[in-house]
Formats: sequence, C-alpha cells, structure tokens
Amino acid sequence: MTKILQKTGLTLALMLFAATAFAEPQTYKLQVDGLACPFCAFGIEKKLSEIEGVDQLDTDIKAGVILLTMKDGVLLDETAAKKAVDQAGFTLRGLEQVQTSTQATVENQE
Amino acid sequence: MILSWYLLFCRLSAIGLFAIFGWIGATWSAPITFNTALPVAEGTFVAREQFVINQSGNDPSGAARDRTAWAAVSVLGYGVNNDLALFGIVPYVNKQLKLTTGGARVSRRADGLGDSKFFGRYTIYKNNFKGGNFRIAPFAGIEVPTGKNKRSDALGRLPASVQSGSGSWDPFGGIVLTYQVLDFQIDAQASYKANTAANGFEFGDVARLDGSFQYRLWPRELSGGVPGFLYGVLEANLIHEDKNHMNGIKDFNSGGTRFFLVPGVQYITKRWIAEVAVQLPVIQDLNGTKLENDFVVRAGFRSNF
Repeated sequence: MTKILQKTGLTLALMLFAATAFAEPQTYKLQVDGLACPFCAFGIEKKLSEIEGVDQLDTDIKAGVILLTMKDGVLLDETAAKKAVDQAGFTLRGLEQVQTSTQATVENQE
Repeated sequence: MILSWYLLFCRLSAIGLFAIFGWIGATWSAPITFNTALPVAEGTFVAREQFVINQSGNDPSGAARDRTAWAAVSVLGYGVNNDLALFGIVPYVNKQLKLTTGGARVSRRADGLGDSKFFGRYTIYKNNFKGGNFRIAPFAGIEVPTGKNKRSDALGRLPASVQSGSGSWDPFGGIVLTYQVLDFQIDAQASYKANTAANGFEFGDVARLDGSFQYRLWPRELSGGVPGFLYGVLEANLIHEDKNHMNGIKDFNSGGTRFFLVPGVQYITKRWIAEVAVQLPVIQDLNGTKLENDFVVRAGFRSNF
C-alpha cells in the first residue's frame, strides 16, 4: 500500500512537472565571442530582442555571456540566436539551456 | 589693389579644412579624432555630435594673424549588415581670421553649413574571440560641396580658407584596424583625400596616419553586468598636406606636415558615450608663412538606437 502511494505521488509530481515545465519560462546561456565594450552590447541585445518570444536579456560583459529568457511556453531557436549575434557583428560560441527552478525541485525530491 | 589684397589673404591664410576637422566618422566607443573598425549592428543607427574649436595664432609672417574656427559636426551611421556601415557627416562651421595688413587690423569671417562627407566602411577581416576582437575595414567616400564658397564682405571675396565650403567634390579613402579587449583598445588608420579645384582654387591633397590607445581606467575590476567604462585616451595624428594651387600656380606658403598628440577621456555606456580631447601640435613643419596651430579641442556625445 505504501509503495502504491509513493508511486502515485511520484506520478502526480511528474505530471505536475510536465504541465508546468512547458509553461515555465525557458532561460538560455549564450556565450558570445568579440564582446568587449558596453556600446557594442547594445547591438547584440537589440538583434536578440527581435527574436519572437524573447522576454528578457541579461548581459555579463566580463564573462562574454548573455542570459536570454523566453516568454512562457516559447523555446529558443538556436539558428535564430546564431543569426542575431552574427547580424550584430559577433560570434555565438555556445548555447545551452539553463536549468529552471522547477526542474531543480523535482530532482531534489527524487 | 583689391587683387593684391586677395592674393595676400589667400597666401597667408590657406588652411586645409580636412586638417581642421579631421576624421570623426567613427561613432563607436573608439577614437575621438578618426574612425574605428568596430561593427554597427544590422539595422542599427548611431548618432554623434562633436564640437570642435581650432585656434591658431603663432604667425611667422609678421601679419599677426589670429584664426579661430569652430564647428558643430553631426554624424549619422547605419549598419546595412554586420560588415557594411554607411556614414554621413554634416558640419556647421564658423571661421574668423584677423590680421594686420597695410597698417590696418582687419577681420574676415563666415559661418554656415560646411562641406559634407558620405562614405561606406566594409569589414574585410574579423576575428571574434572571448573578451575581444580584431578587425580590418577599408572605407571610401566623397566630400560634397554643401557649403557656400563664394561669400564676400566689405573687403571683397573671402579667401578660400575662410569660406564655409570649398566648392569642390573631393574623394577620399583609407583603411582602419581595430584591436579591442576588455581592458583596452588600439586603433590605427591610414587615409588619403584628393582635393579637386573649384573657382580656380585647389586645396592640396591630404595624407594622414592616425593611431589611438584607449585604456579602461574604471572600473578596475569587472564583476558582471554591463557597467559604464571610463577610458583614458591617447591619440596621435600625422597629417601631411600638399601645397594649394590658385589658377594653376602653386602657393609656396601652404601645405606641410603636422604631428599632434591627443590626450582625452571617454565615458561609455550601453546607450551613449561622452568624450573630450585636445589635439596638441608637437611638430609643425609648414611651408613658408603658413599659420601654425595652437590647439584643437573636441568634445562630443554619441548614442545608438
């Protein structure tokens, strides 16, 4: 009985995760080469903000990283990101999805 | 009598407009007195306004010439794509020349729209790496005679060097290199302007070598985000002007070579830049009685949108 309850709870948690994760805003970490001055950061942010679904941009000029958060339920197209950075005159060296807070909570419970 | 006075003014006061206002096509966090190869993002505009005061008064001719020229120079740049940027430069100028001639102290002046420049810059090489980049970009354009060049006063036609414009269409070109990292930036440029004749007068061609070193003074350590940068700037301008020609006759009191050192400061944010610099003539090897520069002060503001 206990095992059944545990499995049911885990299933419900996973269902909740599946329902909320897709609605959770997705954040991506873009590693940009060439960025070395504040005035240049504007051009990159302007081109990235033109991608449909982009909600927020946070640039760290020292790390050469831009954290890009999409609107609920929208995923980032890597091709579009690469093109936007290129249009600004810089190079997208890497792109990865940042772990959301919901993902971290579920993994901790398991 | 009037012709001799006119020739005297022309000989004593011929001054290259290009050397007065120099290059300020650059709209980026970049040199104050010339271009940069940094990119203009596609579809992005950059605007710049620079105020220039050029004072000259060290007169070897004995005529006690004193020249003050100031200009408000407006620049607009546009990124066609990540390699090609187009620029337009439109100045408003005010020039005044005082001198003693025939026992009388006279003043000649003119103000108004000056000659405008339009040019394109194309990146032929770029290397983007973490925390920096290196670029090479040639540029070419033309200076068009949007300024008036036939003004007169009570003493007759103003000399060419006091007129707001030259009356001539003058092509120019060059190449600029930029190396930029988080701590500093180096720019270097070679350029040439071929002046043509108008109304019987032709300014000498101008060849320039320019260099700039911009060093981040503050913040000393970066810790995230995009803080404003305070740069200390040191630039150098080596300017050679050929002799002017009037009705095909070379003016031996014109042209020469000047070398300026230019200390300055810039404050740079994501959306705007404020800057000031002073061009100090270190070497002036000028022909005949050509008037020497005392100093040139430049202060300006840039923004992007």
